[in-house]
Amino acid sequence: MTRIPFSRLWHLASRQLMREVRAGELRVLFFALVIAVASSCAIGYFTARLNEAMVLRATEFLGGDLALRGTSAAHQKQIEAGLAQGLKHAQTVEFSSVIAGEQAIQLSSIKAVGESYPLRGQLKSTLSSQGSETVGGLPVPGEAWVEARLLPALDLKVGDTIDVGRKTLRITRILTYEPDRAGDFYSLTPRVLMNIADLPATEVIQPGSRVRYRDLWSGGADQLERYRASLEGSLDVNQRIEDPRDGNRQLGSALDRAQRYLGLASLAAVLLAGVAVAMSANRFAIKRFDASALLRCLGLSRREALILYSLQLAMLGLVASAIGVLLGWLAQFLLFHLMAGLLPATIPSGGLFPAFAGMGTGLVALAGFALPPLAALGRVPPLRVLRSDLLPVPPRSWVVYGTALLALGLIMWRLSLDLKLTLALLGGGLIATIVLGGLMLLGLKGLRSMLASAPLAWRLGLGQLLRHPLAAAGQALAFGLILLAMALIALLRGEILDRWQEQLPPDSPNYFALNILPAERDAFAAQINQLSPNAKPLYPIVQGRLVLINDEPASDVVESESRGDRATRRDLSLTWSDMLPSGNVITAGQWWDATSAHDLPGVSVEAELAKSLKVGIGDHLSFNIAGRVIEAQVSSLRTVDWNNFQPNFFMIFQPGTFTDVPVTYLTSFYIPPGNDRAMVELARHFPAATLLPIDAILEQLRSILGQVTIAVEFVLLFVLAAGMTVLFAGLQSTLDERIRQGALLRALGSERQLLIRTRRVEFALLGATSGLLAALGCEIITALLYRLVFDMPWQPHPWLLLLPLIGAAMIAAAGLIGTRRALTVSPLRILREG
Amino acid sequence: MSASILVAQNLSKVVPSAEGELTILHGLDLELEKGDSLAIIGSSGSGKSTLLGLLAGLDQPSEGNVVLAGHALATLSEDERARVRAEHVGFVFQSFQLLDSLTALENVMLPMELEGHKNARNRAEALLKRVSLDHRLTHYPRQLSGGEQQRVAIARAFAADPKVLFADEPTGNLDTATGARISDLLFELNTELGTTLVLVTHDERLAQRCNRLIRLESGRLVTLES
Repeated sequence: MTRIPFSRLWHLASRQLMREVRAGELRVLFFALVIAVASSCAIGYFTARLNEAMVLRATEFLGGDLALRGTSAAHQKQIEAGLAQGLKHAQTVEFSSVIAGEQAIQLSSIKAVGESYPLRGQLKSTLSSQGSETVGGLPVPGEAWVEARLLPALDLKVGDTIDVGRKTLRITRILTYEPDRAGDFYSLTPRVLMNIADLPATEVIQPGSRVRYRDLWSGGADQLERYRASLEGSLDVNQRIEDPRDGNRQLGSALDRAQRYLGLASLAAVLLAGVAVAMSANRFAIKRFDASALLRCLGLSRREALILYSLQLAMLGLVASAIGVLLGWLAQFLLFHLMAGLLPATIPSGGLFPAFAGMGTGLVALAGFALPPLAALGRVPPLRVLRSDLLPVPPRSWVVYGTALLALGLIMWRLSLDLKLTLALLGGGLIATIVLGGLMLLGLKGLRSMLASAPLAWRLGLGQLLRHPLAAAGQALAFGLILLAMALIALLRGEILDRWQEQLPPDSPNYFALNILPAERDAFAAQINQLSPNAKPLYPIVQGRLVLINDEPASDVVESESRGDRATRRDLSLTWSDMLPSGNVITAGQWWDATSAHDLPGVSVEAELAKSLKVGIGDHLSFNIAGRVIEAQVSSLRTVDWNNFQPNFFMIFQPGTFTDVPVTYLTSFYIPPGNDRAMVELARHFPAATLLPIDAILEQLRSILGQVTIAVEFVLLFVLAAGMTVLFAGLQSTLDERIRQGALLRALGSERQLLIRTRRVEFALLGATSGLLAALGCEIITALLYRLVFDMPWQPHPWLLLLPLIGAAMIAAAGLIGTRRALTVSPLRILREG
Repeated sequence: MSASILVAQNLSKVVPSAEGELTILHGLDLELEKGDSLAIIGSSGSGKSTLLGLLAGLDQPSEGNVVLAGHALATLSEDERARVRAEHVGFVFQSFQLLDSLTALENVMLPMELEGHKNARNRAEALLKRVSLDHRLTHYPRQLSGGEQQRVAIARAFAADPKVLFADEPTGNLDTATGARISDLLFELNTELGTTLVLVTHDERLAQRCNRLIRLESGRLVTLES
């Protein structure tokens, strides 16, 4: 119990707080909290809303309760079994095809649907791009519904016709929503929805074409369960059962990475803001030692003094958190806006939880970082009113760091929901801070001896840095990391695709053609050779799945989630050839020649995949191709240049291995720009062939990458703002000292100009060190990325040398603003105040 | 209960130092009655401020006891001593010790507000008028001169109607003329309100205005004048 009523303490606390807010004393603490809350709230809302969107669509996700998915059509008896259970059934067939307009062609994602599609959820469509949405219905035979983005690409409007293969369809509506497309979230190619009854007339689907068949089912849980059980025994290797849970898992893992990244970025912001909170809370406490001693002297108990100041911080924390929540909530709208097109159009609101969680983040940060200095306030001895040298017993350092780490850990855990990651980050962060901070410290000390005979401003400026070497190293590190992250993102966004394209010879193929039918092969080759003198050969393609490795099931041999695992869970494009394709190099074994003859046909395997599949020369591989098992023996391993835009293969077989299997052909070729007409002709002439314009796909990739990086940069702005609060908190904590030093220097006859130069030197040095750190880090990371991940030659980026300059300019400006009071206060007054 | 408002018995203060234990006060006895005024003088480091701190209950003696307004301070916890201070003690400091965040009026109201006085504002206004600062009520300490700040501090010291007023070098930071005005004010109010005054000072003239005077040298009482 306190002796003084709580209401009176509250009143006193709020009045003091108001006054201090007006005097600008608490600005840094306030902004640090606002930023911590805003960033965690923005990311919290972003994540929650996406998750809700996923949950909401879980049942619609498949367009049914259960889907049988395969690269070939379901067997009649599989369909009959479902119908026998009394389940409702709908069929969809999806494939890529080129839609030819008058002047241009557009690769599109065609989906042919049966009458009862979709079984769950409904289609939405409009008559014009601005028209109101209609729910339900589906295209009748002869009609096509298309996504809006197809129309400008081909200069078409509703009412015009398009050719899908050999079938002409009239565009009757613009498709705005497809329940079972939620999982794709974004697809490179626009959708064309047509009636399944028109499918045969298109003649697009031929044996060997890449097609996705889905049989959707809905009905009672028991019947579905029985049907599922009966299906499980009769699945082909290329068939899979999906239920909404599967879909959600799949979708979850894709989004998980994005969310985790954003979570980490927001974590960095919270972390930096936490440091700023700690620094400014410390100053808050130190500035109040005298007042606390006086209040104790006037009769306030230790507990009451503590309550008084805790109340002030709590009020500040609540107001800052509320503003942070509002800002975060607004910021996430911007985030969704920046990523529009990559995410579903309609997203639930996210509710209140992220707001409360964001506020919780702010208050936990405040408690963790501010309570230890605050506790010191309660211990100020009242005798300090007579002896200003008396300081409270400082809290034990393990209490200070322990509480801060605990608070950080809690926040990190909430943002990442991953205990292991949290512990790893905390540990790694601590070690990195100690190591890098130590290096910075050594560097600064080295500078001191170098500058021993430098002009006064330099020595004074450096001296100021070295007076608080830990703070200086910490600030340089924080800014270095921020600059590094921003530079890295800018560099990767601009450079990777450019460099990739630059290193290709100018006549590198810019089109892939696939699904070329055997009957059209020669005609296609002849036409391509007219258009493109150095077209690549046409490779036969057979779809097949690797099922056995040395007579053991392939899935048992490979490690889960490995490259090999992924390769055994989908159909591979298999080919055969008597010549080693250009860009391929044999690393083990031998390429076959006419005399090669073994019991089993040979297969040449891409070296990286072979490693993941744990196979070597002489091992036996069995493939399921259209229901038949074909066996081969590994005769060579190859490296492949995947960047040359030529047809490349994981598995190349000895000619003669495959007989009587459905085959299509694949090639790539270069068409000089301005030959759109020729491509339209080609598309019309070979309707079953799929033409993939590489430039357009790269352009789209570039635009997606652009969107994503803008979103990432946007989140990094929070980190930058948090870094700024760290700088200002650091400046503020040394402000009194600077004011005194400035007054002394001016009293001793120095001009203001010297003081300004001194500050400029100090902060420019700090900024330049950060910039240098960022430039070095950026070069090291890009060099590693280029060599190890992108397999591209690395060159230094001289423009990164601008970073020290940018850092120096930025921090010198901020530093001068943050310490301008030290230049304006009258020296007399300061010296009088002692 | 005796008429003594402040009694010190065998008061000693020993602090640890680099050279071992350092005795700042050696077994000091003192007794003040209601309305008394006592000046404690001595050179720097003679133990004046330490004695003031002990008498006001801001610090604990190593030996001996202080009885302030009937409360034996040695037996009380820090928070209980705070309560005694709140009820019976007022302070005036060399460095004024006003809260920067409060106006002159609010600074004076503060001790009364902490005690829950109903008409804190009226009394604070009256006190500030008494120290001739009724035109400065809404000014913040930074906007006031040193003399004005000390007058606010004096008004605050008398606000909660203390039995004993402790003043630590009240004129130490002021010029001679201002210092003289401040000391006049202090003694006038002390007489008007019947407060017991304990004053630490370097200023012999100020000390001579008290009805009792003790001189300290190295923590020992060398003169006691009445």
